[in-house]
Amino acid sequence: MVKMTLIARVTDGLPLAEGLDDGRDLPDSDMYKQQVKALFKNLSRGQNDASRMSVETGPYIFHYIIEGRVCYLTMCDRSYPKKLAFQYLEDLKNEFERVNGPNIETAARPYAFIKFDTFIQKTKKLYQDTRTQRNISKLNDELYEVHQIMTRNVQEVLGVGEKLDQVSQMSSRLTLESREYADKAKDLNRQALIRKWAPVAIVLGVVFLLFWVKTKLW
Amino acid sequence: MGTENNKGYPKFPARPAPSSSPYASAPPPGIPPPSGGPPTGSDAVGFRPFPPSASQPIRPFTPSGPPPAPQVGAMRPAQPSPFVSQIPGSRPPPPSSNSFPSTAYGPPPPPPPPPGAAPFQRFPSPPFPTTQNPPPQGPPQTLAGHFSPPMSLRPQQQPMAPVTMGPPPQSTTSGLPGANASPSPADFNMAARPGFQQSMPPVTPSYPGVGGSQPSFPGYPSKQVSQPPPMPFQSSQGPPGPPPVSSYPPHTGGFAQRPNIVAQQNLHPSYAPPTSNVQGLVEDFNSLSLASIPGSMEPGLDHRSFPRPLDGDVEPNSFAEMYPMNCHSRYLRLTTSAIPNSQSLASRWHLPLGAVVCPLAETPEGEEVPLIDFGSTGIIRCRRCRTYVNPYVTFTDSGRKWRCNICSMLNDVPGEYFSHLDANGRRMDMDQRPELTKGSVEIIAPTEYMVRPPMPPIYFFLIDVSISATKSGMLEVVAQTIKSCLDNLPGYPRTQIGFITYDSTLHFYNMKSSLSQPQMMVVTDLDDIFLPLPDDLLVNLSESRTVVEAFLDSLPMMFQDNVNVESAFGPALRAAFMVMNQLGGKLLIFQNSLPSLGAGRLKLRGDDPRVYGTDKEYALRVAEDPFYKQMAADCTKFQIGINVYAFSDKYTDIASLGTLAKYTGGQVYYYPGFQSSVHGDKLRHELARDLTRETAWEAVMRIRCGKGIRFTSYHGNFMLRSTDLLALPAVDCDKAYAMQLSLEETLLTTQTVYFQVALLYTASCGERRIRVHTSVAPVVADLGEMYRQADTGSIVSLYARLAIEKSMSAKLDDARNAIQQKIVKALKEYRNLHAVQHRLGSRLIYPETLKFLPLYGLAIIKSTPLQGGPADASLDERCAAGFTMMALPVKKLLKLLYPNLIRVDEWLLKPSADHDDLRDVSNRLPLAAESLDSRGLYIYDDGFRLVLWFGRMLSPDIAKNLLGNDFAAELSRVTFQEQGNGMSKKLMSLVKKLRENDPSYHPMCFLVRQGEQPREGFLLLRHLIEDQMGGSSGYVDWILQLQRQIQQN
Repeated sequence: MVKMTLIARVTDGLPLAEGLDDGRDLPDSDMYKQQVKALFKNLSRGQNDASRMSVETGPYIFHYIIEGRVCYLTMCDRSYPKKLAFQYLEDLKNEFERVNGPNIETAARPYAFIKFDTFIQKTKKLYQDTRTQRNISKLNDELYEVHQIMTRNVQEVLGVGEKLDQVSQMSSRLTLESREYADKAKDLNRQALIRKWAPVAIVLGVVFLLFWVKTKLW
Repeated sequence: MGTENNKGYPKFPARPAPSSSPYASAPPPGIPPPSGGPPTGSDAVGFRPFPPSASQPIRPFTPSGPPPAPQVGAMRPAQPSPFVSQIPGSRPPPPSSNSFPSTAYGPPPPPPPPPGAAPFQRFPSPPFPTTQNPPPQGPPQTLAGHFSPPMSLRPQQQPMAPVTMGPPPQSTTSGLPGANASPSPADFNMAARPGFQQSMPPVTPSYPGVGGSQPSFPGYPSKQVSQPPPMPFQSSQGPPGPPPVSSYPPHTGGFAQRPNIVAQQNLHPSYAPPTSNVQGLVEDFNSLSLASIPGSMEPGLDHRSFPRPLDGDVEPNSFAEMYPMNCHSRYLRLTTSAIPNSQSLASRWHLPLGAVVCPLAETPEGEEVPLIDFGSTGIIRCRRCRTYVNPYVTFTDSGRKWRCNICSMLNDVPGEYFSHLDANGRRMDMDQRPELTKGSVEIIAPTEYMVRPPMPPIYFFLIDVSISATKSGMLEVVAQTIKSCLDNLPGYPRTQIGFITYDSTLHFYNMKSSLSQPQMMVVTDLDDIFLPLPDDLLVNLSESRTVVEAFLDSLPMMFQDNVNVESAFGPALRAAFMVMNQLGGKLLIFQNSLPSLGAGRLKLRGDDPRVYGTDKEYALRVAEDPFYKQMAADCTKFQIGINVYAFSDKYTDIASLGTLAKYTGGQVYYYPGFQSSVHGDKLRHELARDLTRETAWEAVMRIRCGKGIRFTSYHGNFMLRSTDLLALPAVDCDKAYAMQLSLEETLLTTQTVYFQVALLYTASCGERRIRVHTSVAPVVADLGEMYRQADTGSIVSLYARLAIEKSMSAKLDDARNAIQQKIVKALKEYRNLHAVQHRLGSRLIYPETLKFLPLYGLAIIKSTPLQGGPADASLDERCAAGFTMMALPVKKLLKLLYPNLIRVDEWLLKPSADHDDLRDVSNRLPLAAESLDSRGLYIYDDGFRLVLWFGRMLSPDIAKNLLGNDFAAELSRVTFQEQGNGMSKKLMSLVKKLRENDPSYHPMCFLVRQGEQPREGFLLLRHLIEDQMGGSSGYVDWILQLQRQIQQN
């Protein structure tokens, strides 16, 4: 069963539309929405280039397709046929591109195409029940192949991002520390120099002073 | 000078005392003996009488009246003569000599300020003198004896001379006649009095300066008396003075220079100064004379001169020029545009300190709030206090940083927002950025401001279909109206709609788009409500349009034979809540009878007048069953706003039902005894307005202000989500919210205080927006300035809300008294501020800005929620009006409190081709029975009702023209409609125009003929608030009552 549906722009993760009463009778829908947002953020950074993907999370699974820089994502029960889910997303994609195609790039505000939610709502209902004749025939349709679509775990997917973050953090820390190291080394060098030549300079100074005193007095 | 005044202060508290006290102490020589009963009296006359009059306005006076009168007359005349003679001489010197006067008087003949001018002109003429000295003179004659000392003094101290005491006496005799002649006595008294008090201050101060003269009292009396008061007074009444500020400086200046004055012209300095002074004062405040006119037996109150807001609400705009970037006053109105700088000052102000906010007020064409999209930059806000960027932030560090105007935090300017500064520190791109030049902007909110995607507009209807609903025709009107509005509901194509009807059972309707007819499902189990199907109870309007229309068409028929009298309101509400709680939206409830079944059933209460006057009285006005408040809280949480329409002619417990609207940001519409033939139009119009006006969904509002002050209480229809966040599930242009602020202990050191109202909402089109209004007000250390910048409209609005809230926890009497006390305290404080310097005797003084406050106070007390006792208004009416008033914007509230009364018969008879020329009828009349002429036709318009009052002697032609053949019938049965002749058309166009002025409510038209009781009393007379009615006082009594209380310590 389709639990929630989101459409976002891949380039910046801007949400474009969302199913209407998503999250109804879903206790921790907020958490899943957070995950979806994180997922979009990852996508916008250009990772996970696969245009079709399934991501497992708890008892549910996210399916998404990326087409024309727009990501269509839905969350279903794990038991929900993958085939139907992707059919559903295809339907959304076709309609969305038909209606809003030219404006997608220029959309500036979040949920700029929120009006699309009525279509989402309608389509969702068609896919709600897997046993309707319509859906069964779709399931049996061999044309649409979904087996190659990769399935990964959400931790893994989000983890990639985290790891990357970590790496970049570490590298930046490294540059910072090396700079610090250079500074310190310079400092030490100077001190060593001073330590080395200071006694000599002092002795010379005293000698000159004596000379000077001597010439003055005598 | 200030100090001097202060000295005087202690003595003055008692009004009467002041005049006498100085005397007593100083002049003892001559006067000690008040013994000279009559004589002293005379001198006192000028003075004393007033005080008393003040305290005991009218009554006391009448008896005593006669005696003083003659004296007064005498007094005036007396002086004139002396003065006249002296004047010539004195005049020249004045310019230089009198410092203060200098401003006003310096150039005597050509007085600079208008007010001053008047006096001046008079100067030359005999009258002038009279006016000036009148008072003094009086005493002189009689006192002459006493004052012998003055005489002697005079030689020594010319300055005192004003005292002219010597001369006056003599002159008195001669002068009398002339004096009287010039100014009318009545004027005089009035004028003189004010003058006195006002002038006083200056005088006193000057004295000391004069030299040792002080001790010599002779001068004193004279001085007090001597002022030129009259004129100033007049001036004050007429043209409000120029900026108040001016008043003060002159004083001080005057004083400093005193020495010179003395030297140069000893004679008359006295008057010059006073005048100037007076002028200043004039600008500062207004006063009402409450003493009787001497010589006349009846109370001399000229109630015609009382201030009345006949020009409607005056928006405060004194700062509009000073701070052009402030948001318009239709959005935010402070009770005073001068914020006190300390707690102690604020506590002395007594009036409420706060604001009335109407965040979505309707804008006239062309002044729409600009919409801004920050795009990827993100909204620019202060990191610490979260203030939105506004015109008052300053950019520094060559444009890389900006300083928050509210918390003075230095924030970075994001790269995309960066702009270079020009030489003045202004951003180069200022003109392209409305948020930096406009006080009101709307910002598109990014995803961080959404907890969910923007919701669609949702309208859910909960309709009572019991027998009374069908009988009254309500059901039909509602169904038709909803149907006619379907095209105009905001938010197409996302708008959703749904219905539940109920009597003793609940009826759900499946309106799935694939159906051709709606399916009705009946649920009879009221204890355990469940929804008969999960979806399709709330459907997308554009998809299910045909089904919805079919439903609305059949709705009235479906229940026309219903004989069920029960109302399962509570369960129905729960069911509606269950349908709506996914998305929220607006829930419109049409309730026809008292909820009688299931949860939230209510019992009859409030039909027992004995409860009134007891401590339990208030309980009638609050919800009895916690169910209602609980439901309201739940609804707010799920973004459901509730509007209640109540129609019953019997008790429906609006107090409980209204609670639902109150805490969900909705409103209550009440149509007692609904009959579709009578109220149909009103309901149609108001329901249509409710459905089609632009609405902001799932909104929250917060108002931020500078450090040192904070908003502490909020009043209106909303739910407080945290200490300062108002939750408003559905808000529109007809809702206003009032709030009070308080100061923290520290002194405000900044020059100005900023306020920022931010309303985060979802527009019907599905955009999430933030509407930001920014305003600034100066901080002042002077109480007088606060009064000068006060805004009666918002003060009244706050007071009305406070009073209504008070009536929910106390007796009506207490609520009314509280209002009265507040006004008294405020005016008393104001009086103390000025009375010290100016002996104001019996006058009621008030700042120009608050001149209507007493009247509006009276209007609040007489408004439907607060008036009278159980017999004056039914409990439901009271509560409904209370809920309505809690939400009304300032202008509409003021109109409701002091409605328009206009005479139209003359206008109707005038042959004017132009129907739009309504200016002739726009002059409003005072709301008193005496404004009604029995030969006239009047329209009374309070924004909710239009009453056409036909005078008994109204020419039958007019009546016939307007009413057709029914003109002689009883008007309650006549329907008002166009008759097809010019006059009738003209009137209809006027009525239409009046209705269009304020589209938020549809005023119903009532016709009433003079003497048609009890309708006349009920419709009109009861609302003539200036009249005495039942136990309540009229305007005059009210003023006297206030005055008496103000003078009591």
